[in-house]
Amino acid sequence: MTAAEQSTTPPAVTNLRPRRVELGLVVMVSMVVVFAYGLASLGRNAELPADIRPFLVGTLGLFFFIHFAVRRLAFAADPVLVPTALLLNGIGYVMIARLGSDVDGGGDLAGLQSLWTGVGVMAFVITLVIVPKARALAGYRYLLGLAGIVLLALPLVPGIGVDIRGARIWVSIGPVNFQPGEFAKIALAIFFAGYLVESRDLIRNRIELRDLAPIGIAWVASVGIMVFERDLGSSLLFFALFVVLMWVATERSSFLALGLFLFGGGAIVAWRLFDHVQARIDGWLDPFADFSGDGYQIAQASFSLAEGGLTGTGLGRGDPDRVPIAESDFIFAAIGEEMGLAGSTAILMAFLLIVGSGLRIAIRATRPFEKLLTVGLTTLIGLQAFIIIGGVIRLVPLTGITLPFVSYGGSALVTNYIVLALLIRLSHEQRAAEPEVVQ
Amino acid sequence: MNRRIRQLGIGMLVLYVLLFGQLNRVQFVKAQELREDPLNVRPLLREFGRARGQILSADGVLLAHSVATTPDSDIDFVRQYPTAERFAHIVGFQSFNQGAFGLERSFNDELAGERFEQQFQSPADLFRDRDSTGTLVLTLRDDVQQAAAAALGTRRGSVVALKPSTGEIVAMWTYPSFDPNQLSGLNGTLVNDAYEALRNDPDEPLLAKSFREVFFPGSTFKLVTAAAGVQSGLVSPSTPVFTESEEYHPLPSGTPIKNFADSTCGGDLREVLRVSCNTAFAEMGAEWIGPEIMVTTAENFGFNDELPFDVPGAVPSRFPTDYGEFLADVQYYRVTAPARARGSTNDTSESDGGVAANLPTLPNGATPIHESSAILAQTAIGQNDVAATPLQMAMIAAAIDNEGVLMAPHVVAEIRAADGTAYSTVQPDVWRLATSPGVAEILREAMVNVATSGTARNMAVPGLVVGGKTGTAQLGTDPPNSHAWIVGFAGLPNNPPELAIAVIVEAQPGADEQTGGRVAAPIAKAVIEAAFRVESETQLE
Repeated sequence: MTAAEQSTTPPAVTNLRPRRVELGLVVMVSMVVVFAYGLASLGRNAELPADIRPFLVGTLGLFFFIHFAVRRLAFAADPVLVPTALLLNGIGYVMIARLGSDVDGGGDLAGLQSLWTGVGVMAFVITLVIVPKARALAGYRYLLGLAGIVLLALPLVPGIGVDIRGARIWVSIGPVNFQPGEFAKIALAIFFAGYLVESRDLIRNRIELRDLAPIGIAWVASVGIMVFERDLGSSLLFFALFVVLMWVATERSSFLALGLFLFGGGAIVAWRLFDHVQARIDGWLDPFADFSGDGYQIAQASFSLAEGGLTGTGLGRGDPDRVPIAESDFIFAAIGEEMGLAGSTAILMAFLLIVGSGLRIAIRATRPFEKLLTVGLTTLIGLQAFIIIGGVIRLVPLTGITLPFVSYGGSALVTNYIVLALLIRLSHEQRAAEPEVVQ
Repeated sequence: MNRRIRQLGIGMLVLYVLLFGQLNRVQFVKAQELREDPLNVRPLLREFGRARGQILSADGVLLAHSVATTPDSDIDFVRQYPTAERFAHIVGFQSFNQGAFGLERSFNDELAGERFEQQFQSPADLFRDRDSTGTLVLTLRDDVQQAAAAALGTRRGSVVALKPSTGEIVAMWTYPSFDPNQLSGLNGTLVNDAYEALRNDPDEPLLAKSFREVFFPGSTFKLVTAAAGVQSGLVSPSTPVFTESEEYHPLPSGTPIKNFADSTCGGDLREVLRVSCNTAFAEMGAEWIGPEIMVTTAENFGFNDELPFDVPGAVPSRFPTDYGEFLADVQYYRVTAPARARGSTNDTSESDGGVAANLPTLPNGATPIHESSAILAQTAIGQNDVAATPLQMAMIAAAIDNEGVLMAPHVVAEIRAADGTAYSTVQPDVWRLATSPGVAEILREAMVNVATSGTARNMAVPGLVVGGKTGTAQLGTDPPNSHAWIVGFAGLPNNPPELAIAVIVEAQPGADEQTGGRVAAPIAKAVIEAAFRVESETQLE
């Protein structure tokens, strides 16, 4: 209790500086989001949305609630993470509400998304409450690993698994539909971190055949997701997550090389064997060749982005619902169309901010489990955003996956808020442990 | 581990820089290309999201307008064409599935109100939402167009009528035509099927043959040869008098040129034009005028050049320009127009371009002729590789009727703003000088003679001064068939020129010189009567 002994400046006061920064950012973000919401409606039908006041109150309420929850539960945490995530979520909501207004009965999408945002924020707070020490999670690594595998395999169970748009990643139990794979991400990130901390010294010192088993299992699991659930994005994401963590944990670049080699081999075999993989590659190479078929969505996304140009058509003034599933996987195209290169670049910067903050927390963390877990969670968000944005703008083949915090979808949003809560918890622990850095 | 984490950070940064680079490519570098991609319907949706201006005929008939669709439709407005096929080749159509053609394409910006001067007529326009669309008023008259369509009936062919003094097109009709309403509808499948059917129709109903297809002009081209002769000074109404003959034997050799039905003809310019004498015009072109003056005159009338026309797609008419080298043999020397020009100025220097400097000029001024003189004999009577659009042939008559001045043809008279005021009026524009006024007067008088007592008698309208020239361009002999032509003009006595006209009826049975006069002249007459009916009524008021 050194802080109590240096009683001239109470540590609580000093340590609240990041929260004051965060409060300022949260206020700015809420203004941006409310203005964007009003503009989108003005752009469409030249009048302010009827619910602009409830929206203002709801946004401010939610934003301040999450801010004060952090102030109470993790006061020393990084001040940039929460506002950035709120900005992404807010812009995403504005676009979903704006897109929904063009689709028959689509007004529900915005309503549901606001509900999911509320649930996500609650999940954020609950996570902060029930995980007072990140270290404790390491104890549940095998349980969580098992849970992750079960969650991943759940859509394959006959009766509850559902095929949607060719991918079998949904589970439907009674009235509740969700994507268990989203929650599996967190469970597996914790499991990977815990497992690698335990075994990295073994693997680091001498490589035997059995040391390669884990990476082999991860690869098989990824291929399994790709083949049986036809979910290329998640398959790629899980495998990349594991390889990155293995590489960081063991500091052996040979694992990175091996990972790339296995990925390349798997990709080539998949391209040869599976029509749906081949269609994605063809759509990436030349979406205009099969314009009315496999290339349609990508081509429309390119047209949408081009329409936006540098400054965009203006919120509500574009035609982004030309792109199928614009509210989910392709929401980035809608943002690019209506807010232009300026807006789409801002989204890139927001994700870079999250990645940068996350990796900074990882570097400053003192214990390996926290380090690895932070790296894992940060990589999840950063890579997932890269995979889907790259797919939409035709940098890489399209693998359907949501844009974190932005896309429509309850499971994804709740998962992302839990990841955010864990990052906040990790950041708080690291900063609280080094008060001089905070000052 | 920190080293690896930093490397991971760099790796992530690289990935995001790649994203940023690709974003710049899509949204900036290649954005224009993507926006203009034919598969991209966004520009179209924008276009079809609002009504555009109307298109009206000169006599106020609605030719094209935007009609609101049902609310649940993907597009808000479609174009409709009340006159159906009558103006399809000029007005064109605006189709969601097949793009835009005709005036709907070339005047897209004006109709949509996208030109700067439409949008900002005063600084106040910055602060209000004003209908900026433009209404096109055409020079074509629906009554004359109807007369042309009725007179031609279901024979393949074209009618072009224009005002010689301004170049305003009064009527421009080609049969077969098409119904543009079939192509501007909402049902994409029906539109595409209709378009395919039209495209595969062997009669090419989509093609405006009046200005987008060339035909052998046959004897109507003799007007150009006559103009070349008179302009050169070697041919006058009285001299030379061409020998009565049945055949013309080209120099130095070649297929003899015969008159129609192996008849015998000859005489002065008026006479050979009146009876359309092949032998006389072949000789005139090959031995009196020579290629230089023939080519220059044809080009002064508009051949071998892009036509300045406000409906897109006009094709140039052709007159061959290559007649080979000079022949050294003195027996083929002739006093052609350029030779006489050189002789009169006593200028034998080599500065005179193409003339063979190493070949001598005879004391009487005669110079060598070209080796392909036989081809010139054919092109002088509109055969061989001469090919002209009906519009071009109407313009020849127009230039002769307008003191040799060829006006740029156009179909748009003015563009009106939404409040009915004209914001842009098309001014008559001289395209080129075809002949001198004196030459034009000689030809004009000769053409009146043809319509009074020659092959174009069927064109004459009582009370009007009418001049004409028939043509029968033979296509084949088994069975004999040919294009029936007539070109001419009509006007009130002692009044400025009113109307020039060209009519072609394609591939008619028969091959005698009477075909043009028999088949095409009555059509021209009907159109002239229609054009002057209203004009005389307005004069009575």
